[in-house]
Amino acid sequence: MIEIGVKKQYGERVVLDVEKLRLENGRVYAVMGSNGSGKSTLAKILAGVLKGEGDIIYDAKKPRTGYMPQKSFAFDMSLTSNMLLGHAFRSRKEYKKKAIAILEEFGLRALIKKNAKKLSGGETEKLALARLMMDDYGLLILDEPTAAMDVNAVENAERILKEYFDRVKPTVLIVTHSPAQAKRMADELIFLNEGRVAETGPVGKLMAEPGSEELKRFLSVNF
Amino acid sequence: MWSNVTAAFEKAFALMGEGNTLLNEIVATTLEMSLQSSLYAMLIGVPIGALVGVMRFPGRKAIVLILRTMMGLPAVAVGIFVYLLFSGTGPFGGLGLMYSVELMVIAQVILITPVVAGFTETAVSPAYDAMRESAAGIGLGKARVALLAANESKYQLVATYLFAFARSVAEVGAVQIVGGNILHKTRVMTTAIALNYNMGQFSLALALGIILMLIVLGLNVVAAVLQAGLKKRQ
Repeated sequence: MIEIGVKKQYGERVVLDVEKLRLENGRVYAVMGSNGSGKSTLAKILAGVLKGEGDIIYDAKKPRTGYMPQKSFAFDMSLTSNMLLGHAFRSRKEYKKKAIAILEEFGLRALIKKNAKKLSGGETEKLALARLMMDDYGLLILDEPTAAMDVNAVENAERILKEYFDRVKPTVLIVTHSPAQAKRMADELIFLNEGRVAETGPVGKLMAEPGSEELKRFLSVNF
Repeated sequence: MWSNVTAAFEKAFALMGEGNTLLNEIVATTLEMSLQSSLYAMLIGVPIGALVGVMRFPGRKAIVLILRTMMGLPAVAVGIFVYLLFSGTGPFGGLGLMYSVELMVIAQVILITPVVAGFTETAVSPAYDAMRESAAGIGLGKARVALLAANESKYQLVATYLFAFARSVAEVGAVQIVGGNILHKTRVMTTAIALNYNMGQFSLALALGIILMLIVLGLNVVAAVLQAGLKKRQ
């Protein structure tokens, strides 16, 4: 279990003020909210790439954390080398085999020797997601992981992710603008409004019966 | 004026064509000094610039400011400083390096390292900002990220090396002071140009300048070919 109580402000402007948010181990949480509601800030603080005031308390040892930022990045090397980053001291042959298998699943098999800088936006996003699949994480944070992908690619990526969730059973936080994706992927929904947690609960229940006006409005516009 | 320039070009090509021994010796000394000083400046400056580029700490901006200020170190001042350190009465006078190519290299390394570090920081810092979150997201450590940021900036680093070499090969103030422009020992292209100018031999001075530019042009062509090959391989 992870208990989050964090605040982030730039000067006078408070961008995130989460008093208490609890993430149960092995559950998948979708984070939704309008632009500037603090979704990415929450993801960044939880991933440890941004400092905030307050605490994040883990019931056991801090889990190994994987994070995919909103803006995917391809390192200036081949796709295979991108996949092997972070595995420098492990069996290269074994991991290379695994890397190629994952790239194949994402439909990038034909490009493995190409320089990753030459990929399109959607392909770069696939690569960033594939790179995360190389490891087993206890906590996985995905900030709009399929925003640049086409419909078929989104479907495929969601299938791969679900298989990963079933196999590794990480605690997952997915930031998304799509209520449909939240419904397909997540168990729970965290709805942020102006930096605060406006609502949390099982995703199906909240979508069917939104408690707050903000969520009602958000769903009516985005669904 | 134009007759001097025309004569200079004629002289430059004549000198290169006839295989002048003294010219070859001066070119060799120049290359020996410049290749060493630019290489050592890269070996010291790139890690410093890369580290400053990837570190985020209070006071970083002040360090960047100092680094950029040091990029404008006056060559003559560096020459005097190194002269005072290595002359007979200086703390390193016992090493007996005065008026040697080695000391010219030391002076140039002091002069060029901040330039290399400053350019490296300027190249690496935005590359690091772009990759920082993705690198942290797969658990990469600081040192690995610094290397990756340098890799992202490799074309700028090649340009930095070319600039370092050009700065070294065209520098006269420091090498004149610590090298003394001694014939058959520490005379390089720039000090030879200055000497010929002082003697009123403008055409010869200009001819040497043209040869100097051709050397830099040659290095740039080699670097451009290497870069193109590198890009083609990707």
